[in-house]
Amino acid sequence: MQYTTDVRIIRLMCTGRVDPTMIADAFIEGADGLMVVGCHFGDCHYITGNVQARVKVGLAVRLLDYAGLNPARISFSQCSSAEGERFVSLITAFDRSIRELGPLGTGDRLEPPVLKKKLHIARTALGREKLRWVAGKFTEFTTTGNKYGEKFTDHEMWRTLDTIIMDEMATHEILDALQSRPQAVLELARELRLPPPHILKYVLALQRRGLVGLAGVEGLSPVYRVIDQEAATAA
Amino acid sequence: MAEEIRIGVFVCDCGSNIAGYLDVKELAEYAKTLPHVVYVKENLYTCSEGGSNEIKAAIKEQNLNRVVVASCTPRTHEPLFRGTCGEGGLNPFLFEMVNIRDQCSWVHMQERKEGTAKAMDLIRMGVAKAALLEPQEPIQSEINPRAMVMGAGISGMTAALALANRGYEVVLVEKSSETGGLLRSLDRLAPSGIDAASLADRHAEMVGNHPNIRLLTSTTVEEIQGYIGHFNVTTNTKGVRDGFEAGVIIVATGAGVLKPVGLFQYDGEKVINQLELEERLKSETFSPGNVVMIQCAGARNEERKYCSRICCMVAIKNAIALKERNARTGVRILYRDIQAYGTENEALFQKAKELGVLFIKYDPARPPQVQQGTVKVFHDLLGRELSLPQDLVVLSTPLIAGDDNEVISRLLRVSLDENKFFLEGHVKLKPLDFATDGVYLCGNAHYPATVREAISQALGAASRASIPLSKGVMSVEPIVSTLVDEEACRGCGLCVALCPYGALEIVKTEKGRKVRVIPVACKGCGVCAATCYQHALSVNSYTDDQVRKQISAFLNP
Amino acid sequence: MEQVSGKIGDFHVSVRKRARYVNEDLCTGCGSCAEKCPTMAVDVFNAGLGRRKAIYKYFPQGIPSVFTIDAPECRQLGQGKKCGICAKVCQAGAIDYGQKDSIVHLEVGAIILATGYEVFDPSVIPEYAYDRIANVVTALEFERLLSASGPTAGHLDRPSDLELEKEIEEIRKEAKKLDRQIRQLEEKHGRSSASVIEQVAGGADKELRDWAAQAEKLLTMEKSLAELEKRKAAAQPARKLAFIQCVGSRDFRYNRFCSSYCCMHSVKEAMIAFEHDNDVRSTIFCMDLRAVGRGFEEYKLRGGSQAGITYLRGRVAEINEDEARNPVVWYESTTSRQVIHETFDMVILATACIPSSSASKVAELFEVELDENGFFKTDPLAPLNTSRQGIFTCGCAQGPMDIPESVAQASSAAARAAEVVSPARRSA
Repeated sequence: MQYTTDVRIIRLMCTGRVDPTMIADAFIEGADGLMVVGCHFGDCHYITGNVQARVKVGLAVRLLDYAGLNPARISFSQCSSAEGERFVSLITAFDRSIRELGPLGTGDRLEPPVLKKKLHIARTALGREKLRWVAGKFTEFTTTGNKYGEKFTDHEMWRTLDTIIMDEMATHEILDALQSRPQAVLELARELRLPPPHILKYVLALQRRGLVGLAGVEGLSPVYRVIDQEAATAA
Repeated sequence: MAEEIRIGVFVCDCGSNIAGYLDVKELAEYAKTLPHVVYVKENLYTCSEGGSNEIKAAIKEQNLNRVVVASCTPRTHEPLFRGTCGEGGLNPFLFEMVNIRDQCSWVHMQERKEGTAKAMDLIRMGVAKAALLEPQEPIQSEINPRAMVMGAGISGMTAALALANRGYEVVLVEKSSETGGLLRSLDRLAPSGIDAASLADRHAEMVGNHPNIRLLTSTTVEEIQGYIGHFNVTTNTKGVRDGFEAGVIIVATGAGVLKPVGLFQYDGEKVINQLELEERLKSETFSPGNVVMIQCAGARNEERKYCSRICCMVAIKNAIALKERNARTGVRILYRDIQAYGTENEALFQKAKELGVLFIKYDPARPPQVQQGTVKVFHDLLGRELSLPQDLVVLSTPLIAGDDNEVISRLLRVSLDENKFFLEGHVKLKPLDFATDGVYLCGNAHYPATVREAISQALGAASRASIPLSKGVMSVEPIVSTLVDEEACRGCGLCVALCPYGALEIVKTEKGRKVRVIPVACKGCGVCAATCYQHALSVNSYTDDQVRKQISAFLNP
Repeated sequence: MEQVSGKIGDFHVSVRKRARYVNEDLCTGCGSCAEKCPTMAVDVFNAGLGRRKAIYKYFPQGIPSVFTIDAPECRQLGQGKKCGICAKVCQAGAIDYGQKDSIVHLEVGAIILATGYEVFDPSVIPEYAYDRIANVVTALEFERLLSASGPTAGHLDRPSDLELEKEIEEIRKEAKKLDRQIRQLEEKHGRSSASVIEQVAGGADKELRDWAAQAEKLLTMEKSLAELEKRKAAAQPARKLAFIQCVGSRDFRYNRFCSSYCCMHSVKEAMIAFEHDNDVRSTIFCMDLRAVGRGFEEYKLRGGSQAGITYLRGRVAEINEDEARNPVVWYESTTSRQVIHETFDMVILATACIPSSSASKVAELFEVELDENGFFKTDPLAPLNTSRQGIFTCGCAQGPMDIPESVAQASSAAARAAEVVSPARRSA
């Protein structure tokens, strides 16, 4: 029973402990791949920890994928403590697939410097209320339903999360960009490669939250700035 | 000023298990170069008495305030090393274990160089985490030696008696006006032939006379607060509210019987269910001419997918009773599968056949038709329709979950299955415990059971409940969730809903609604910490910072 | 168990503790000994399908995590040869070839008999040909084949193909030996074996005749090896499975009772086989499919709708084998009222849960009664009590039952025993 020496194991009591930001951290620090390995479904030592982990890891995969990381760099697998052979085969297969991808930034949608920046933004979004709240409600909404008794399918919940991922990434990228210097919507649109009307929508939403304000007008375009650096960092 | 961190690292050879495949000398040398490491020792077996003594001595002589052992698996050896640290005067939770055997030397036997390099990384990660460890104190909580048993059917009474006989005080709460539950509706039990009512009476008498049992009939449980050792129960007896504290709770609330209205022309007169048949069997003179029994009436269908386990045996028992009363009574049982599992049941099934009870298999796609004086059924094995004479049709209906189950499950913060029966903590390992500590279950509340099974489960639940009761104190490892940032907590309750153990609750404080961790109930899975969007919760010895530090120590030394 | 005397609250028991030839206090469970041990033995835990060393742990998670020497298999202990390798490699000094059985005396208030059950040996049923057809296995053997930690790492390799593998290995080993001898001859005499064979055809002395015979033998071996290798390469994992229920239970010839857990066991095995390989299709031959626990009926239905399981009501009349070593199952489908034969890759026999062979000895020793089936007799209203006060029983020792029921009963038996013991404890 032998496997690659290129893997390091970090022990947690349960995959339920896996915070989605930890997954982002691993790639920010430069990992080429990350496996989350826990109990088989229906046989979780902590009853439902792996069910929650499925949501948290799923969220991280989707967000990091959107941020430019190849989602094949993250694996969520099940293996019992009596299944050494299975563990080896999981690691061996994952190692092979990561080797095929190459180091971080080669098999991914974005190049290393841009990717790194996006990963930081993604990590911020993963630590914030919006995505975490929906992820936290995921199982309740799909099993017993919301407080009006409406039940949602997994598919519907993931679709909702996908929409929020887009919003959150854009919002935090805009905040990040404006923190370096005040900018107009068109400039932001160019830098972030998003359509100007989308940028405008997010900027106005940030303005309503009191995080972004008018810095002045350049030509015909209003220029926006971050009002309160501290609040913007915490947002 | 913060205390200087002084880490001691012990690298184990494990005989040749590690030293045979990794360069242990090099590992020890490398460990000396790591931040905060002030002492390094290589041992032949760190777990041997000699190794333990070296750890203890080094803690004293080197003023170590963190210990890292790089050896085998924490599954077998972490408690030992924790204990050693404790004996050496170091808080046992300032210890970190690095697995360089199972996760390194054993799986890289042909790669000495790469394996050694990996072990260095593992030790570096362990040392980095160790620097951030905090001392923890064991969590202890006293257990109120009183038990509450909910439901005074055969299960509840058996459980109450078992606990009372061991000297514990038991409050037995029954919502109806008398004890006995479903037993009161039964005629005789199979295969013993014991009269069910007299069994119920016998138990009721023992319960009534037992000095340790307080029986509350016509009483419902209105509220349950607290946790193992300290459940605060509010009861309501005919409008009068009362309260008491109990250390443990056994749920023995039984099940309901399906009245098969709308099925197979059920009318309670000519078409009845098995319980109604048993009522009639109590009269010695009752002897109908031709009886047709229909199994799975209202069960194993779209609405109720489950098999109710006991109805086949109830039908067989009553068929035998009818045949023994009058051999000329025609008894035909229309079935899908005869669930005569085990030794006794199969023997009864054989006996029924010997007595002339006819078993006719039907296809649920072509269910029997009850008509005036006959039942028409397509015989699945003969492949043709039969017309069976009948003076009485008896429907074997499933037991259904009690209608209070949802209320009780909310009060106790325990789960129900999809059919609203109570769900045990683990189907195989904890069949009589709930996931929530201190709460147990038995009998029909769990799933339909025979009297024999119910008695067995009740004794088992009492046994499980007696463990905390007899200890008097509950002690848990302090690797539990903690509210590290009370200010940040908004009391939203997201974590409370996800906790599989009911170990979190929302309380009103001066600063508003806040979450409170019940450490004795917490198992440390960390779902709450991974969920909280305010990052207000963490898990001792697995904090966000500690895990992050391990990640960065690996990738960016 | 050697001796039992006394009565409820005050039993005296003598137990023979068999020598394991390893000092439990010193052994760290590291496993160096098993790694170096030169002797292979049949792995009983893996239902004889795999092999292990003569110094071994019964299974990896066993408690205590300590090794044991299988004395009859051991070169040093059982075969009187010089070996001592394990003692040499054990750095903890835990090996003790001189260890003897010891007698332990216990004073106890109550006794729980949890001596379990045995699996019915299906080779006594002639029509199922269990001992003749390699690809007819018991449910327990199949369980090991399915297990990720089992002899095939969870792959459904057919026993006939495993046999093939073993055969190839053996022939290869012998051929290698022969090859070496022949090479030596060739080198010594500086001539090729082919020329010797040719010369011998025209008559030669004994040495050359032997040489030629050996060389010819090697050639045939190589030929048959190639043939076997070809067959091995063509071997496919088992995909079409037949499960036969009530093998030795509900059968008047053997046991009249129902073994309770086997229906669900077969459904589970068929489900796992499907999960392992979605091309697996299973047929479960049964009389009644007894799915009576929580979620069992639903599980069974899911097996039918999502895991390729067909439930067929019918008793299998005979199994024979075709040329490709596939079992052919003959049965009457009672719902279609036809006699049908069908070829499968493997047949799995759901064998009965029968009283352990030591049950009658244990019963005699403890003076408890057995029921008509040979299990410990219990009282329906006191389901853990044996016929003797202070002695309780739980699990399959008192009759067939599934794991949850056994675990629940174990707690119940502990409760009964505690009722006996605790007043004594309080007064002490």
